[in-house]
Amino acid sequence: MSDARQDALPIGVVGGGAFGRGIAKAAARTGHDVYLWSRGARELGDPRIRVTSRFADVGEAELIFLAVPSNAIATIGRELGGHLDGSHLLVHVSRGLVGPELTPISRLLRDSTPSRRVGALAGPLVAEALIEGTPSGVIVGTNFPEVGEAVREAIAGPQLRLYVTPDIVGVEVASAMVGLLALAAGHAQASGVGPAALATFLTRGIAEATRVAASLGAEPDTFVGLAGVGDLLAVMAGDERPEERLGRALAEGATLERAVEIVGANIEGVSLARRVADFGARERIAVPICNAIADVIDGMPAQEALRALMTRGST
Amino acid sequence: MRFRPLRALSERPLRLPRLRPYVPQPSDPPIFWFDSERKDIVREVVQRVTQRHTADRRRMELVLNETALAEIRRLESQRDAESRERLPQWRGLARRIARLSDVEKRDAVRDIVTRYAEDVAGNFDPRVYGFSKQAVPKLLAGVMAPSRLPEELIGETLIGELLRVEGDIEHLRRLQDRGTLVYVPTHSSNLDSVVIGRAFEQVGLSPVVYGAGKNLFTNPFLSFFMHNLGAYRVDRRVTASVYKEVLKTFSQVMIERGYHSLFFPGGTRSRSNLIESHLKLGLAGSAVSAFANNRVHGVDRNVYFVPATINYELVLEGETLVEDWLKEEGKARYIIEDDEFSKLDRWIAFFRKIVGLQAACIIRFGRPIDCFGNEVDDEGHSTTPSGRSIDPGTYVERRGKPVNDFARDAAYTRELSDVIVDRYREETVLMATSLVAHVLFRRLVRETPGLDLFARLRVRGEIAMPREELIAEVGALRDRLVHLQTQRVVRVNDAIATLDPRVIVERALAVWNGYHTRVAAKELEATVTAEDPTLLLYYQNRLVPFATRVVTNAADEAAAAEIARIGGRR
Repeated sequence: MSDARQDALPIGVVGGGAFGRGIAKAAARTGHDVYLWSRGARELGDPRIRVTSRFADVGEAELIFLAVPSNAIATIGRELGGHLDGSHLLVHVSRGLVGPELTPISRLLRDSTPSRRVGALAGPLVAEALIEGTPSGVIVGTNFPEVGEAVREAIAGPQLRLYVTPDIVGVEVASAMVGLLALAAGHAQASGVGPAALATFLTRGIAEATRVAASLGAEPDTFVGLAGVGDLLAVMAGDERPEERLGRALAEGATLERAVEIVGANIEGVSLARRVADFGARERIAVPICNAIADVIDGMPAQEALRALMTRGST
Repeated sequence: MRFRPLRALSERPLRLPRLRPYVPQPSDPPIFWFDSERKDIVREVVQRVTQRHTADRRRMELVLNETALAEIRRLESQRDAESRERLPQWRGLARRIARLSDVEKRDAVRDIVTRYAEDVAGNFDPRVYGFSKQAVPKLLAGVMAPSRLPEELIGETLIGELLRVEGDIEHLRRLQDRGTLVYVPTHSSNLDSVVIGRAFEQVGLSPVVYGAGKNLFTNPFLSFFMHNLGAYRVDRRVTASVYKEVLKTFSQVMIERGYHSLFFPGGTRSRSNLIESHLKLGLAGSAVSAFANNRVHGVDRNVYFVPATINYELVLEGETLVEDWLKEEGKARYIIEDDEFSKLDRWIAFFRKIVGLQAACIIRFGRPIDCFGNEVDDEGHSTTPSGRSIDPGTYVERRGKPVNDFARDAAYTRELSDVIVDRYREETVLMATSLVAHVLFRRLVRETPGLDLFARLRVRGEIAMPREELIAEVGALRDRLVHLQTQRVVRVNDAIATLDPRVIVERALAVWNGYHTRVAAKELEATVTAEDPTLLLYYQNRLVPFATRVVTNAADEAAAAEIARIGGRR
């Protein structure tokens, strides 16, 4: 433990899934005591990590990570919020956007808790890398520089390079849209789509995601950073993330329910695709790729969806 | 008729002579202490700003060079008495900067800051305040309806009828004794500061300190009152960053000391009449920093923001403002000096037009919030979304201690801006002119598919609606808005909430016609024609955020969707 961290405050983590456990491990590795909230409390065998089912314990920490599905954020936010005040810093790792208006998670956290100093952690980071401590990079989107500093102090180190941007909405939308594209990439590869078609599909997918994000107030530049292109490159380099595996399972003929079961994780992209497609139609934003992904998730054969994409009117 | 000949006189503070200083009474509002604290306040502002810029030589040279350059540019373009006096001084300083010793540089920075601070700091004269309380309503009444002057000299019936003040006033009265109130109203007209000042008086709220553009001081009548009622001067022509810092620091020191304040976060009057959605929060940020700095120094004084909307049936300068919005070059024309506000005959025409209307201007105070967007209960405690009381001081803590942090405060201010914008929408009170303009403009959009906004504005006098159809649609729109009011989405002027739609239409047409130089809509043989789409656009813009939610007819849906896109997505 470095001298600077001798008086380190405890870190809170909400969510006992792979990502939550990974962040808890990373924080413990840098010398912090950790309160890990999990519904099914199960010790991790690390003396620095105390697993708890009481939100009051997590409230002891100043910096709290939330690693729970987006559809649980509002409920958990309300419960956790009862133990928070203005001094808490909240950082989520969700790849979701909520409801028909694609509301960013940070907005939900501000609405359901007293915390205002909120951030989003994203980038080419998978739970296994956090747990094992293999080299990686992440980006924190936050309007509050002190949130970036606190995350750096909590989990960054020689194995984890951390960047900070004020474009929190950009980070949240990029992360969500890459999750969607990862699902599509897995499906396309398993369906035999060739490299050139795949590259075209993903590049145009990033352009589409940028348009959606810009309409939500994000900076387009964020998409060429770690939260966007960086994250997508990790998918294509084969980081075996759950979204890609789900896409493959679907392409191999599994039903949606079965595919989710195989992957064993909540995949935000499944419900996000159709909502982005509808949002695009409503806001007059061209989102043909999200439309295609939504159609495929709904059961349209991939080749048919691809043909529809390739033969639509030129743009 | 213009006030120009008196401009030079009015730009200099006119103050009443005083033999003995006024000794504030314990029951006086905070602003009554201003005169006795003015010197201290200016000194503190000068000390804080100077300290920030004199830490090292490089910083001093930067601020001197930047300020001299900005002032030389301003004065070269101004070509007035001020430029003849000041330009040689700034040019001389610019030449000497490199040769000044560190002590001389520090003195030069302090001199500049002192001059700015003295120029900004206002004055408060309780005698002028007392006089204005009595006289302003009567003077306005005299202008509006000379025949009613005798009864006005006894009571204040006319102003009371015209200006309605809404909101939980009792809550505000309690809070003004528990902390510092920072009012943040919408801004449509230069009349705003007059009517909101009158509103404070009407409902028994303390007078406030507020920044007023130097251009307002060109009206000698207003200038005299502003110079003596706690207004501080904001010269938008001065672009030097140190000047802006003086303004923010002045505001911060005033709020730290408990002076209730007012800012127009829109920065300038809404040219388009759209409800403001992009706020300039430099001064509001000073309130957040004031709260934090007090906490750092152990002073437990809360700051409460009060979003407010100022809603007019008829906007004095509407015609000029909307033209300015539509002109590309209008974007650079920040200060309009030749609008209706500077013409006495327009004032008289305006007031005579609105006289007799119930609630021609409605000021609505929204629920107060703390610096971090939390609701505030009756006792002044900040509350969480679940209704729990929390200490707002925790928002400025790190590791359990309150700290000053400019970047953090700026971020809080941006978030606060979102809350204020939401409140503006909820608290906007829609008037008859907005409703009638919206129905006519929506019909214009529906009948001109494929045209862009500017092409539509050239379609003058070509689109007409049968009067009965217009009345029916205005009625449906009003009913829909009343429904939205129950959901706290927006509000409707009580005076028209149950009024026969026929009378609503008559009221709007009567208010427009005869005041604006152009005719907004003309009624002829049972049809109403959209004569001037630009004016209709201006008045209907208040309804833009709700356009798709008030459609009751499928044929209007596409038009409503187009209208909803005016001004861009927020």
